[in-house]
Amino acid sequence: MGGILSLPVLGVAVIYGITGIPNFAIGVIGVFGGFVTWYFLSYSMGLAIAIGVGVCFIIGWIVQRVLLTPISEMGGDATLFFIITIAVGFVFEGMLRAIFPRPNISLELPRIGTISFAGYSVEGFKIIALLFAIGTLIIIRLMEEHTEVGKSWQATSQNLKLAKLIGIKTTQVFSIASGIGCALACIGAIFWGSLYNLQLSSGWDLGFLGFIVAVVGGIGNIWGGLISALIMGMVMSFSGYLLGGEWQSVILYCIVILVLIIAPKGILGSERSL
Amino acid sequence: MKDHYEKISTVGILLLPLLFVLRGGYLQEVTGYVYLFLIQGYVAWFLFFKSGQPFFGYSVTMAIGAYGTIVLNVMFGWPVLGAMFISAAFAPVVGVILYLATIRAKGFYVSMTSFLLAILFPRLINALQDITGGRSGLYFSGITEFVGYKTLYIIVIVWTVVVAIIFLWLMGTKTGKILTLISENDRLTQAVGINTFRYKLLAYTIAGFISGLGGALYVNYTGFISSIDIEVFTTLYIFFIPLIGGSSLFFGPILGALFVILIPELLVPVERYFRIFFGLIFILVIVLLPEGLAPNVQKLFRRIRKNKE
Repeated sequence: MGGILSLPVLGVAVIYGITGIPNFAIGVIGVFGGFVTWYFLSYSMGLAIAIGVGVCFIIGWIVQRVLLTPISEMGGDATLFFIITIAVGFVFEGMLRAIFPRPNISLELPRIGTISFAGYSVEGFKIIALLFAIGTLIIIRLMEEHTEVGKSWQATSQNLKLAKLIGIKTTQVFSIASGIGCALACIGAIFWGSLYNLQLSSGWDLGFLGFIVAVVGGIGNIWGGLISALIMGMVMSFSGYLLGGEWQSVILYCIVILVLIIAPKGILGSERSL
Repeated sequence: MKDHYEKISTVGILLLPLLFVLRGGYLQEVTGYVYLFLIQGYVAWFLFFKSGQPFFGYSVTMAIGAYGTIVLNVMFGWPVLGAMFISAAFAPVVGVILYLATIRAKGFYVSMTSFLLAILFPRLINALQDITGGRSGLYFSGITEFVGYKTLYIIVIVWTVVVAIIFLWLMGTKTGKILTLISENDRLTQAVGINTFRYKLLAYTIAGFISGLGGALYVNYTGFISSIDIEVFTTLYIFFIPLIGGSSLFFGPILGALFVILIPELLVPVERYFRIFFGLIFILVIVLLPEGLAPNVQKLFRRIRKNKE
């Protein structure tokens, strides 16, 4: 569970870490990409995933460029972004309902069975999701250290005014970050849709879960987000096993609320403050 | 004086639906529904916009009032009115505990904690479905059994007017002025020697009680409640009421409630595209009219009056 959760969490962390904007529409956009992937799956698996992820990148890019960056430049605060991105989520959930005739889909990707470790067996797909998340995280960190693009991301997230002064196209950096975040959420939705199923409203669950897990890890802190996703995934699995499915999310949200009360900046601390 | 006229006209507008009380039917049913949400909208107007408290758990306080009334009345045999008032008295506990627990945190973290509570609560209702009915919900005849539907409609309208008057009056008192000061600059208010803790606690208590009583009235009017009615989107719709309507004017929440409840009703013929239109209209209003609808409607009327002169 933690492996799948880690992808939208990474998406939230990348967007928030660079743009400073809490984007609640990310889950709905990711699930929209999941439905697009499902639609093209009968042609070719690779092509379908590429189209789904590509569509999400473009949506993330456009939403940031057309709506969120201009509002940010006008001085919008976190509450305003919270409301605006919820409204963006409404639009994409509405598009899902209008475009796709089925309310419930399952993405039939090739199975790789279960992997046994220390007496426990885990679905191989969950391990792949986790490895993918760790791989993405390492690539992001390496890019930040060794490439011009990555350095411009770091500069923008640390000091926006200075980044603008030294000629970094911050608007473009924000748009790319938003695109990458939404693409990661889409990959998370594809894994989710393959293991369970995707419903029209799944995006909200994925988005809210992604956001709260990111907050628990220390919003904007991608290592914190990954650790938090693993812990929360385990909490969900164990509580579901011990108390049943209905109590799974109740326990999760109770723990998150407690963490927020005790350590509002998350377990590893936030790189930005909300 | 201008403020006084605005208050009187707000109350006057709110009383208008009493004119078609005998007509009954769909219009009356929807009006009652709009007013029940308007009560919650005024709570958000008072607590978030006027007192500056970043609370997003309106659906939770409303649900405590509603479920509490059913549990106390049906399961414990309490009289309906007693059950309504006791559950309403219990509703502020959530806000107050949350406030006390997050006292060290700032702004958006507090908003997030209460928002998570709004996500958690319907799930808790589902988990406790043996008592609450979960998604299948609970039916409740309540006051309707004694006074009839039309009288209940009048009670809803009158209570909404009373709630509006209470908040309008409160914002004109010394307490209201201190709350406005807190919302504008919390630290400065503390620095001039005002015990902000006491005033914030008072704001949460008043808002929670009125929201809880509104929830109790809601379940009496609709005769049914389930976890779907108190989903996290309910809290968002409630917050949208003063935000869209405009929080700077007293009649802002009235326009907001009409917008938030009636737009979905008007979009029923295009139900398939409902969320797209709703989301887009919403974004447009927030981006193009950041002050909300009310100040712009006021400007429009002034311009029309000027042109006539």
